[in-house]
Amino acid sequence: MQDDRLFINVKPGKTFLDRLTGKTKVRTFFSLIFLLIATWDIRLIVPLFVLFIIALISIRPNWKKVWAVLGFIILVNIFNLLLMWLVEPDYGLNVVGGSTVLWRFNSFYMISAETMWYFLVRFTKFMATFLLSLVFIQSITPSEMAAGLYSVKVPYKACTIVSIAFRYIPDIARDYQNIRISMQARGLELDPRKASLMTRLKQNVTILAPLIITSFDRVGNIANAMDLRGFGKKKIRTYYSEHEDTKGDRIMLPVYTIFFLLFVAVVVCNIVTHPAYQVWCPWITQP
Amino acid sequence: MNKEKESIGKILLGKWNTKTIIGIAIGAALFGVLMNFGSIRVFTNTSLSTAMIIDVIVGALFGPLPAALAAFCGNVIADLIGGWGFWFDWSIGNGVLGFFVGLLPVYGAKLADGVFEVKHAVIYAITVIVGNLLAFGVVTPILTYLFYSQELTITWGQAFAAVVSNASVQVIIGIPLLFVLAKRNAQSNNLKKED
Repeated sequence: MQDDRLFINVKPGKTFLDRLTGKTKVRTFFSLIFLLIATWDIRLIVPLFVLFIIALISIRPNWKKVWAVLGFIILVNIFNLLLMWLVEPDYGLNVVGGSTVLWRFNSFYMISAETMWYFLVRFTKFMATFLLSLVFIQSITPSEMAAGLYSVKVPYKACTIVSIAFRYIPDIARDYQNIRISMQARGLELDPRKASLMTRLKQNVTILAPLIITSFDRVGNIANAMDLRGFGKKKIRTYYSEHEDTKGDRIMLPVYTIFFLLFVAVVVCNIVTHPAYQVWCPWITQP
Repeated sequence: MNKEKESIGKILLGKWNTKTIIGIAIGAALFGVLMNFGSIRVFTNTSLSTAMIIDVIVGALFGPLPAALAAFCGNVIADLIGGWGFWFDWSIGNGVLGFFVGLLPVYGAKLADGVFEVKHAVIYAITVIVGNLLAFGVVTPILTYLFYSQELTITWGQAFAAVVSNASVQVIIGIPLLFVLAKRNAQSNNLKKED
């Protein structure tokens, strides 16, 4: 749990995506994420993937952090795919619709072209989802997120939950570091060279208990501070971070509308045609 | 009788004041972080996660619905920073589980006043297992089928792994934790509130 993995911005940046209103950011994010969840078609996923890479470059992130996170995520996803393959090597048969054996180990374990194709689609899809989340987190501040959610008619108390939760994540990282250091000062050995993995895991649990307790002890303080400022007295709420629409917002309005319509089209198309196999594959014709 | 029923309904909903909102928010943040960094992977996208304790604590302090919301928001946050894709079926499943785990105040285990006895622990263990079975054995597979129209073989495997790992975390770590929390609150709370 290092600081550099939990990057939440509290100050808005200066690039095009940063300067959009929270409303535009949240709406764009939701239409894209729904589209990505609904589709399994690589012809749609790859252009989105490229688009998100451009978006990531455009917000000028801290590349050192981004590479560290990306490496970790790629490993996790590959590990997941490997586990899926171990459980069901012929996964492609049901979702892609075919089983062309490329390599057979024994009667159960084999590599089929369709399974590999499915894994490729799945990997691209999840990497695209992750890039989208990364761009979203990097370009939004917690209060803009609350304002954006409020603009899509989420009750503002729920918006506050989300924004405080996001605001609190860096605090968790800081508390964790502090507790770790004070525990080490009391003689808890956390050095990987001196303590074995099992003991370090156990000692991490002993850090967890104070972390959870201090976090919940803080509830009273924050709640009092918010009550003193009159939180929850009125039915509606406005947000300081929500500025007027800029030129960028007017450009993005048709863009996210199109993505949302595309999502609706994909869902309707799936329901109407109801394809026998979910994943499109170039060498298999749908019945 | 009527009055009794009303009060149970109220406990189910929880008190919606600022304190509850902050409690849910902090619970969700901790849930999201622990899901990512405080867990040992056992199966695809499932792990032995310490995040499950957050349900227990939020439920004990604020009631079932706040626990459900904290678990749901927490899982969405975990998905957002985790990078394994968004699985709203699992988020909702976790929400359902949070509701069951958070039933603590309904059967009289008032952690805030330091009340938690052996009989509560037994009921707690039963609700945890029932809640897990219902959340990941029924709700999540149905939603997976509806949202993603995916083959359910992997989901069954994941559901099984999730039920076993979550229930064991919530029972093995949860019960001692609840006793500790109750003891801690009882010590600081030996004054009685006057009407």
